[in-house]
Amino acid sequence: MITRETAKKSLHVPVRAVIKGVKDEAPGVRTLLLEPVEGQFPRAGRVSRPGQFNMLGYPGVGEAPISYSMLPPGKTDAKAEELFGHTIRRAGRVTGYLEKFKEEDEIFFRGPFGRGWPVEEARGKHLLLITGGLGLAPLKPVIEMAPSLGLAGATLLHGARTAGDIIFKAELARWKTGGAVEIGLTVDNPPGNFFKKRQDRGLEGFEKAIGEIRTGLITELIRPLQIDPAKTVAFICGPEIMMRFASRDLMMKGMGGAGIYVSMERRMRCGTGHCGHCQIGPWFTCKDGPVFSCAQLRGLPDVII
Amino acid sequence: MTGVNASQRNYRVILPENALARWLEWLGGFYTLTGPVGGGVAARFTEISKFEQMDLDYQSTMLPPGKKYLFEPVEEVLSFDVSEGVFSSGPYPPGRKRALIGVHPCDVNAILYLDMVFLSGPYADPFYRARRENTFIIALNCKSVTGLCFCHLVGAGPYLKAVSGYDILLTEIGEEEGAERRGGKNRKFMVELVSEKARELCDVFPFSMGEQPEEKDFEKMSRMEAALLKSFRKNLDMEGVQSALLSRPDHHALKETADSRCLSCSNCVMVCPTCFCHDVMDKTDVSLSRSRRVRRWDACQDISFAQVHGGNFRAQRHARLRQFVYHKLDYEEQFGRKGTVGCGRCIRWCPTGIDLTEIARAMME
Ligand SMILES: Cc1cc2nc3c(=O)[nH]c(=O)nc-3n(C[C@H](O)[C@H](O)[C@H](O)COP(=O)(O)OP(=O)(O)OC[C@H]3O[C@@H](n4cnc5c(N)ncnc54)[C@H](O)[C@@H]3O)c2cc1C
Ligand code: SF4
Ligand code: FES
Repeated sequence: MITRETAKKSLHVPVRAVIKGVKDEAPGVRTLLLEPVEGQFPRAGRVSRPGQFNMLGYPGVGEAPISYSMLPPGKTDAKAEELFGHTIRRAGRVTGYLEKFKEEDEIFFRGPFGRGWPVEEARGKHLLLITGGLGLAPLKPVIEMAPSLGLAGATLLHGARTAGDIIFKAELARWKTGGAVEIGLTVDNPPGNFFKKRQDRGLEGFEKAIGEIRTGLITELIRPLQIDPAKTVAFICGPEIMMRFASRDLMMKGMGGAGIYVSMERRMRCGTGHCGHCQIGPWFTCKDGPVFSCAQLRGLPDVII
Repeated sequence: MTGVNASQRNYRVILPENALARWLEWLGGFYTLTGPVGGGVAARFTEISKFEQMDLDYQSTMLPPGKKYLFEPVEEVLSFDVSEGVFSSGPYPPGRKRALIGVHPCDVNAILYLDMVFLSGPYADPFYRARRENTFIIALNCKSVTGLCFCHLVGAGPYLKAVSGYDILLTEIGEEEGAERRGGKNRKFMVELVSEKARELCDVFPFSMGEQPEEKDFEKMSRMEAALLKSFRKNLDMEGVQSALLSRPDHHALKETADSRCLSCSNCVMVCPTCFCHDVMDKTDVSLSRSRRVRRWDACQDISFAQVHGGNFRAQRHARLRQFVYHKLDYEEQFGRKGTVGCGRCIRWCPTGIDLTEIARAMME
């Protein structure tokens, strides 16, 4: 139900959206397609970029930062009718509450916030995307725009705990056939592992489409890569420990910290650079990040990159 | 203070205390007068009705005036009417116009820092802005320093150098000869009308009751400032701090201080005039008819401050203490200046006397 709104435009007032689609991606992970209907958050003229996030939630419950897994298609004047997507894992208070939301339910967000992936820097270069688990979600918009980025080439290396935990299976298969991105997949636990078996059912079709799924950590896929450090830009997203090992492997291959970008996860309470929770050294993850180059983060305390 | 040009001097006058007092009480018709009450290092800013209630010789307060009145400890930022589905935020500002009287230079600089936090980024906070615009700041240069002050190391005091962002600057420059006032001396203040807002009040300002300052008065102020600068007891190589801290994040001085003395009580953060961190919480009324989003001062010393799903980036006590020390003495990239204004409150109010300048000094050795 849409009702009259009285509040002034303010960074504190969220935008109302209606859920237009729900898709199960993996156990505990769902994608919500949202259509903004009305609201006051001062977002007019702001373009949503890959890597940016919204503070998503429901009044009375709270808000959590969630990256775009699908950008609104529009350009400059983000119109109300534009659909966009968020892929959400149940983790706590807010994400747990959102889990029971279904189509046509209302949800609220503020954003977009933050600096996204510097896709311009990849022009003419090879774009290497390394993702772990849900870390594929914030890079999905980049993969989808890859054909228009003027890249010399693109590679996606993705790791998940089990084959059943791999999100975006249909998209992965589509990207594979599309040919714009080379894809390598790995899982920590091999398909058929006794305890994981149930989750892996129905994967045969996916394996046929995608090719071999390797077993082991993501670094197993990085080590055999041939990289021209000067002509490669890397975007990494996943658990911080995985980003640490992935970025170090790339540095071992001669890449500098300035060409390796990571998306950082920190506790966020406002998204607007005021609450201070998301600070990493002198940076606010919500406004100076969440995407940082490794060079920017090197040597800062409480960072393991 | 020498070399002041004539047009600047037009807005300066030396005023006896009784004239200043009457003018401030007149100002009270337009603003809620708020000033330091109770002297020493534990004075507090509070609303006053008479000039005499204030102790302008106070040295420090526990809560800084800027943070206390511009950034409320608890504030509702959003309200949601559940049955109507309607949001409201505001009104801004809640309350009347306020004049903060006798704000020391460190605390004025802290307000300028909070301005950067809440107003300079991509999003300005409407609550802070409204209060800021409604606040008239009368700064007061210090006439004594405490053993814990180190404002001189960061250019935040003991005399205010900022040329904007506040309204009036007072400096006590002596006593009126022979004049007795309520059993005490009638002091004289150099009054500088700094802001446009203050200068617009010129017409009603009792210039006629004061004297035009002369070169000798400015020279006297310079001498008083120089003498004050000599009386500081704290010292630290501020240039060296930046490189020393970041290169030694696991220094034993930090770890040992944290492990043996820090209680993670967050006093240091609460009394800090530049600490701006806050939590945001949603609460629903028992009637289930209204949800409120409330922000509340929060502290990096709290164990859950940096907790996320799957990890806590500052689970260890020394990591949390380090965040405080580094945020004050390093991390200049954040706002183009250090986070500390050298007021010394975190040292004074720490139950175990932890001193960030001592930690930094040990780390530089
Ligand atoms: C830039 C950015 C982008 C993100 N993008 C996505 C995305 O696309 N999809 C996605 O699923 N997630 C994403 N996340 C992560 C998501 O925001 C977090 O999982 C978020 O914590 C979920 O909020 P919540 O309210 O559901 O969880 P919370 O209730 O905040 O709980 C999160 C974790 O913190 C713990 N915790 C919370 N409060 C306390 C406390 N007081 N004391 C101790 N422990 C506590 C909980 O136990 C839990 O482990 C992103 C995060 C960032 C910073
Ligand atoms: S006031 Fe002292 S004991 Fe309390 S958290 Fe700060 S440094 Fe630790
Ligand atoms: S989330 Fe509040 S400052 Fe970044």
